[in-house]
Amino acid sequence: MLLEAFVVGTILCGFLGIIFKKNLVMKIISMDIMSTGVIAYYVLIASRDGLYTPIIDRTKDVNYADPVPQAVILTAIVIGFSIQALMLVGVMKLSKDNPTLETSAIEENNTP
Amino acid sequence: MTNITIVWLALPFFIGFVIYLLPKLARWLALGIALVSAAYAVQLFLDSSPLNIQLLDNFGVTLIADRLSGYFILTNAVVTSAVVFYCWDSGKTAFFYMQIILLHGSVNSAFVCADFITLYVALEVISIAAFLLIAYPRTNRSIWVGLRYLFVSNTAMLFYLMGALLVYQAHHSFHYEGLRGSPPEAVALIFLGLLAKGGIFVSGFWLPLTHSESQSPVSAMLSGVVVKAGVFPLVRCALMLEEIDPIVRFFGVSTALLGVCYAVFEKDTKRMLAFHTISQLGFVLAAPAVGGFYALTHGLVKSALFLTAGILPSRNFKELQHQPLDGQIWLALAIASFSISGFPLLSGFGAKILTSKNLLPWHVISMNIAAVGTGVSFAKFIFLPHDKLSWNRDRVANADGETREQEDGRKKLQPGFWWAIFTLLGGLVVANIFYYEAYTLTNIIKPLVTIAVGWLSYLVIFKKAVLKLPNQTEKFDHLIGVMSLMLILLFWTIWTRTQGYALA
Repeated sequence: MLLEAFVVGTILCGFLGIIFKKNLVMKIISMDIMSTGVIAYYVLIASRDGLYTPIIDRTKDVNYADPVPQAVILTAIVIGFSIQALMLVGVMKLSKDNPTLETSAIEENNTP
Repeated sequence: MTNITIVWLALPFFIGFVIYLLPKLARWLALGIALVSAAYAVQLFLDSSPLNIQLLDNFGVTLIADRLSGYFILTNAVVTSAVVFYCWDSGKTAFFYMQIILLHGSVNSAFVCADFITLYVALEVISIAAFLLIAYPRTNRSIWVGLRYLFVSNTAMLFYLMGALLVYQAHHSFHYEGLRGSPPEAVALIFLGLLAKGGIFVSGFWLPLTHSESQSPVSAMLSGVVVKAGVFPLVRCALMLEEIDPIVRFFGVSTALLGVCYAVFEKDTKRMLAFHTISQLGFVLAAPAVGGFYALTHGLVKSALFLTAGILPSRNFKELQHQPLDGQIWLALAIASFSISGFPLLSGFGAKILTSKNLLPWHVISMNIAAVGTGVSFAKFIFLPHDKLSWNRDRVANADGETREQEDGRKKLQPGFWWAIFTLLGGLVVANIFYYEAYTLTNIIKPLVTIAVGWLSYLVIFKKAVLKLPNQTEKFDHLIGVMSLMLILLFWTIWTRTQGYALA
């Protein structure tokens, strides 16, 4: 329960960071924090029934963690990572003309 | 059929990368993929029983392909082929066609999948491909618009992932049906993701800027099919679970009204079309059972309009009113506008009738208002001044070469444009066969009255209106902030509903 509260807290921190940070790079980092929270949530739910790595071992009688959420979140990690890479490339391009990377300034310059 | 489905799903991704290796064949390969999808959709229509596929094991990928997906896939195929035609001579690189095809493939997979994780992957691939397409011109503005889109959709998808996990926790399965009996917060989080992705209600305010600032073919793809990838799962869930249905309908009606309110006051052609997309998605959601047909007609019309709006001399309606249009371009605009207003002979008519028959009683009034609003918005296009229609003018223009066109200051139209428009508008006429029963006298009178009321109020009121609605809501921070409000609204709606069900 306490762990769950921490995880939700992380997600919320990331979300608020996306809204309140002024700098575009900070916003992207906030989004990363948010996705870290979501990943941790998956891992947490997977470990509800047991903590052992889900590789069957006949000699031991232990409770295994649920492999499905872990497998699923692996996909999500890869996707999140590639999106972040893509965003940072975009930010690099933008930084040529907007060296401060203030979101409000970029928005003002680029909205009709 | 299972194997065919898998091959059909994988083909765009395979060909997408082949395009990059064989840039000379890019256009042909892209067109081929669109045709394959069209053939697959026709196959779905001929097959009466829905196709349920369970890949791998219990936790594997689940797919459902039925007529509903058939409509959406057909839309995707027709719009993609029209976009390829439109870009035929425009000198776009192989990279562009590759992204178009990857986008096409991922949208297709969103239309057949039946579990939340497959959908997640499809939606994220869509975001990436759409970002690359939006940022294709490499200007600062296009990159910013793309980044904004990617940001909004990725944040929404993070909420969605949390929701998917809660569904899994309740049922040990990611299947759509798991939504039944899941805690309200799970449904709220998943819906938040899908509503933001589909551009529904207030979480759809990212859509106007994104769709209006992209290049015309990209806007056509985005408005015609990509937003429907977010809407389709909602429709699917509403049809599967009757307790979700009223929530989806509620958001459908509110977004139809909201979008049309903005559309009637908009002075910019592409922005007006984008706002109108929001409203039309509401029509799709307001009657989920027949949403497929509506989505098909809307996809065809909206891409035709975006492609045409891209070649108009100006984007401002005020300026367009002083610049007579080319007669044939006006004709294309008018046919598309007539269809979307629900004029008989075009399939927009059948779709409107079918939707209005499937509405809940207390939604009818609001949807009629939205329909009148559609009439008003498209009167802006229909009443634009234009040259007289004369079919041999083309030859005259060709005879004395380009000097004349330079004098006119008009862009030279590529034949690809007409191919694209013929595909889309032809599709509109042919699509009548899906619902030819609509042609009865009472059915015909109603849309005519709606259109007449719309035009009248346009000429009397809206033509001179100078009211400009604030676009504060489209600021980046607000787009993200609105998500938290939407989450509360969603949670509240779903929670009260489930309480009601529990008591009953």
